[in-house]
Amino acid sequence: MATKKVKGTRKQNPDEIIDTLERKLKKRDREVKSIKQDLKEKEDRLLRSYADFQNYQKRAGKELQINKMELKKKYLTELIDVKELLTSAYEDNNPKKGLKLIINDLDGFLEREQIKYIDCIGKTFDHNIHHAVNIIEKNDCEDETIVEEVKKGYLLNDTLLRPSQVIVAKRNENR
Amino acid sequence: MGKIIGIDLGTTNSEVAVMEAGKPTIIKSAEGQPYFPSIVAITKDGEILVGESAKRQAVTNTEGTVHRIKRKMGSGEKVTLRGKEYTPEQISAFILQKIKRDAEEFLGETVTDAVITVPAYFNDNQRQSTKDAGDIAGLNVKRVINEPTAAALAYSLDKEGDHRMAVYDFGGGTFDITLMEIGDGVFEVLSTNGDTKLGGTDMDQALVDYMASEFKKEYDMDLREDPKSLQRLFEAAEDAKKELSSKLQTDINLPYITVVDKEPKHLEMKITRAKFEELISTLVDKTSGPCKQALKDAKLKPADITHVVLVGGTTRMPIVRKKVEELFGKKPKRNVDPMECVAIGAAIQAGVLSGDIDKDIVLLDVTPLTLSIETLGGVATELITRNTTVPTKKSKIFSTAADSQPSVDINVLQGERPMAADNKSLGRFHLDGILPAPRGIPQIEVTFDIDVNGIINVSAKDQGTGKEQSIRITGSTKLSDADIEKMKRDAKEHEEEDKKRKEKVEIRNNGDALVHTTQKTLEDLKDKLSSEDKESIEKGLKELREALSGDDMDKIKEKTDALSSTIQKVSTAIYQQAAAAQQAAQQQQATSGGDGGQPSGDDKTIDAEYKVKDKKKKTDKKKD
Repeated sequence: MATKKVKGTRKQNPDEIIDTLERKLKKRDREVKSIKQDLKEKEDRLLRSYADFQNYQKRAGKELQINKMELKKKYLTELIDVKELLTSAYEDNNPKKGLKLIINDLDGFLEREQIKYIDCIGKTFDHNIHHAVNIIEKNDCEDETIVEEVKKGYLLNDTLLRPSQVIVAKRNENR
Repeated sequence: MGKIIGIDLGTTNSEVAVMEAGKPTIIKSAEGQPYFPSIVAITKDGEILVGESAKRQAVTNTEGTVHRIKRKMGSGEKVTLRGKEYTPEQISAFILQKIKRDAEEFLGETVTDAVITVPAYFNDNQRQSTKDAGDIAGLNVKRVINEPTAAALAYSLDKEGDHRMAVYDFGGGTFDITLMEIGDGVFEVLSTNGDTKLGGTDMDQALVDYMASEFKKEYDMDLREDPKSLQRLFEAAEDAKKELSSKLQTDINLPYITVVDKEPKHLEMKITRAKFEELISTLVDKTSGPCKQALKDAKLKPADITHVVLVGGTTRMPIVRKKVEELFGKKPKRNVDPMECVAIGAAIQAGVLSGDIDKDIVLLDVTPLTLSIETLGGVATELITRNTTVPTKKSKIFSTAADSQPSVDINVLQGERPMAADNKSLGRFHLDGILPAPRGIPQIEVTFDIDVNGIINVSAKDQGTGKEQSIRITGSTKLSDADIEKMKRDAKEHEEEDKKRKEKVEIRNNGDALVHTTQKTLEDLKDKLSSEDKESIEKGLKELREALSGDDMDKIKEKTDALSSTIQKVSTAIYQQAAAAQQAAQQQQATSGGDGGQPSGDDKTIDAEYKVKDKKKKTDKKKD
């Protein structure tokens, strides 16, 4: 405390004061300049990452299109093969054997693609994999038993590709 | 703050969208569909089902399934499901909960806020009821907006000054017409009308009836009585309806549709658009009445309407668009998917509320044309492709085209043509002081850096000496739209001939490069080649040189291929020899256990390394 008082009361030369202030000011200026520079760089980096992101989005979009096309090509080629074979079968006077082979081929393809047929007749209706298109009144079986398959349903890798379209038995409770 | 989603809570289906990176994106349901059926069911086990799964079990669970709850909103009327009463708000909340859950799954973050759309004719009570449904579902409903307003937002009609518009909403099961006035971004509904029992499904039905009656004429059997056949008829009708929106005729083939007198029967039919339109014209005409009434109520003439917006899948049909044009005397807008536009508009409104729009979006420019440099043979080698968002920076390594080349000339080009001379030169500079080296060895890194103002900095740096030169190009990117269009058009027009010219240059460059590498190979392998091999390589080299002095591209290509296959054959043999020698040496080493001195395997390593270098050089040269 005492020393401070001595310092504070010491008379300073005006030139000295100006000098100190100028030094301080210059230091501030340098700081401001550096901060401004820093800010500018950061802004530029921010804008560049925005631009990078947008360019990435464009590229990803393009790649998605290409992938879609590739996938389409794969399935269309398979489909064309089947079409050619069916045309041959059509020209065949006794096409049964040929058709059977074509169906076997297709079954093989579907199996490779992990497509599984949903077995439904006689099973209890399950809204997760079946789509009821109609009901029929029936008392000789459990309620909600599937009695008819209108359109076959399939699973793809254990997720639903398309539900079986079915007709479901309903018991008449009044009887 | 999390994202606010936009929900089109529909009578039959609901759609959801959200703003992502400034663009509205439709959110898919967990089942992978871009919409959610507005159906709720309680199973006999007490499970609550919403959407697809509720739809699938609807016919077996009539006492537990509710459709079209939107019609009961605000009515105070309750629905009973399996003996328990529910308010319409509760049912709607089940739908909103499913939407919230799937949206969270889709976005990977919690969703707490939403904008929900309602028909323009909804009264305060019905609006409040919609808001309450949101509350029950745990969604903070930031705003309830009119469906036609959302559609207008999707078309950015709020930015087109003051005008009057008509929103023609023809969906699967309902038809709505709304006339609105827009001024200063404020939407005012002038009048609204519609038909709650008119929609696309009626059109499917009309087509099914037609097909069934035609079939009946021939085989005296009503396909509609067999649920299996009926289902196939409905699917075929829906497909045909969609196809006839873009085509004038469609074939309906339903093989094995049924069995008549133990004989399988097929349904084969051609349906023209004209026939289909004849079948549904009365349905389309039914929209006239409500439109005229709406105009009358708003005291407007068709000419007072400046824009017509289409909503709903049914408006994709040409006959419907023609009807709209006839009713309002102008072509309707159609650049937004009519099925999605209400949800998209809701998402845009949500984006405005969350500040996703206007505030955070940084609008960055794109390079209107490709930027490239001229390389060997006058080819324009691309560095930054057209439509790249700036600021951006890209570098590529180039090399020299001749032995001991002291400098490279960097010619900066702008345009889509593959040959340098056809593009605009923005500037050029030299980088000299390259140390004498064989062609393809010096590594010159060329960097294009475009800043946010479109100023291009091109620099070239010799990585060997560290010497660098650069050029700053300002203003030259400020081409007028007409210039840019012309340059793009030119590129399109000359695509074929440009491709041929570039191919020519590439064939020649490849030939040149092969001559060069062959000379090196001959020099480097002179001790290893048999005189026979040497002779055949020299013969090929001579022939390729001769071809290169001429202009016959096929010949150059043929000779290049011939020589390269000769060299490949020779070098494969050399490798095999080396490998055999190494193996022998190893075996010797293994058996004798002694050190076999310099293993011949070393030679092989050197060869391999050389080969890699060689290959790299070849590609570099092509670039230069």
